[in-house]
Amino acid sequence: MRATPTVPRTSDHPDSATPSQAAPVVELRQLRKSFGDLEVLKGIDLAVRPGEHVVLFGPSGSGKSTVLRSINLLEPPTSGSLRFDGVEYGPGIPGEPQAAERGRPIDLRRNIGMVFQQFNLFPHLTALENVALPLRSVRGCKRPQAEHQAAEALRRVGLLERAAHYPRQLSGGQQQRVAIARALALDPQVMLFDEPTSALDPELVGGVLATMRELAETGMTMLIVTHELGFAREIGDLNVFMEDGQVVETGDREIYAGPTNPRTSAFLSAVL
Amino acid sequence: MPLANYDWGLIWDYRSDLLNGLLTALEVAVVALVLSLVCGMLLALLRMRAAPFSWIAAIYINVFRGIPALVTVIWVYFGVALAIDVKFSVFQAGVIALTLLYSAFLAEIFRSALEAIPKGQQEAGLALGMKPARVFFSVTLPQATKIAIPNVGNMFIGMVKDTSVFTVIGLLEVVRVTQNVVATTFQPFVLYTAAAALYVAVAFAIDFLFRLIERTMEAPPDGLLSRAVRGRRQRRIQALIDAETASPSASA
Repeated sequence: MRATPTVPRTSDHPDSATPSQAAPVVELRQLRKSFGDLEVLKGIDLAVRPGEHVVLFGPSGSGKSTVLRSINLLEPPTSGSLRFDGVEYGPGIPGEPQAAERGRPIDLRRNIGMVFQQFNLFPHLTALENVALPLRSVRGCKRPQAEHQAAEALRRVGLLERAAHYPRQLSGGQQQRVAIARALALDPQVMLFDEPTSALDPELVGGVLATMRELAETGMTMLIVTHELGFAREIGDLNVFMEDGQVVETGDREIYAGPTNPRTSAFLSAVL
Repeated sequence: MPLANYDWGLIWDYRSDLLNGLLTALEVAVVALVLSLVCGMLLALLRMRAAPFSWIAAIYINVFRGIPALVTVIWVYFGVALAIDVKFSVFQAGVIALTLLYSAFLAEIFRSALEAIPKGQQEAGLALGMKPARVFFSVTLPQATKIAIPNVGNMFIGMVKDTSVFTVIGLLEVVRVTQNVVATTFQPFVLYTAAAALYVAVAFAIDFLFRLIERTMEAPPDGLLSRAVRGRRQRRIQALIDAETASPSASA
């Protein structure tokens, strides 16, 4: 990776040499996914190292979201290998020997947080209860403990004073930050962001990106599907351009200024 | 017959018989409602599963939606009882008949309510690492219940009205009582008017009750009732926020 990123890092986040040497926390090999006759992922290879910020970008329908949704098995892959923290969760690569042991989806999900385009807060619960519910049901916290931790998580995203509000009483940006707090409260090893700002009014995007930036600076491992290429250029350690269910090109931040693949440059010149 | 010949005082004279009849009807309907809610939910879940299970539920639903209450209760009380050699009381037969019928209707109500919850809700729960059963009870079911409540109220009104056919097996409900009183007083217009009025009054009451229940489920709370019901919870959360705000970041 390049020693001089275009945007200086303000944090003490381990610099690019550290993540590239550590063992991958998430590793996809020849991952394929079909919906009926339609193959949406045509053999994805991707390794994400601890502390790394991976940006997936590309035209809609290219399979970016499906990659994210495969990683926590919301979309179980049709074939291929999905390893998380050294444990195999995928169905396996054809022709290779099957993994002796395969992890349970629930154990995978308990270590991976996900933030959705449509926020998906629970509308019948207050912001605090949204965060506290998984703490109680996943972590087995008693209610006072869960609510204390939930309040701390909401404080981190700057929404403690909105804790008693219901999702409908919050702006889209606030809802998304509650959703981020809800995932973070479970202390995941990896956070997945599936177009977290795409459903927001333009003036609300900045607040959510600021929250994500703060999270990135703490060294959280993040995979982000986004159309906010300005933000991507700022935090992406590994940038993956996808098209038609395949990884076309990966690179550091320079990919945005000087892509090597003509399909990447065609896409970038169309959107920038 | 001029109006003066109608003895409206009879309604008052026989009020305790009529009200006892109504009470019996309501008892049958309430017990059957509770059972149908459980059976209807199980059927709805079965209906939403993969092929062989969903067929079983679909067949049940379409069969019992199609049978009239009168036929069902006669079939249960005289037919099934004979076939399996069990003597049902008229009360039991009524409850069984209503439950068989209304489980089918409620199954469809629950299925549409469950399907109305966006898929993202379930995905969010699963992505957080919650068990599927926990996602169902804490995320999907509460939201679906609010959608289903008005239709459940409608079904309950229907159940109370359908108890009137149980007169045929001798259940002492409103119609049976009315028939008995008419046999001694010869005032069918007066007494059946009273019977009809009782059903209407119950329908109004049930409608009111289910509206109240629906209102308590408003989120954010809207109106006196939901505020009263949810108020304690919100005050507790507000107190927690105040406490946390006062002590800046214990964990940082």
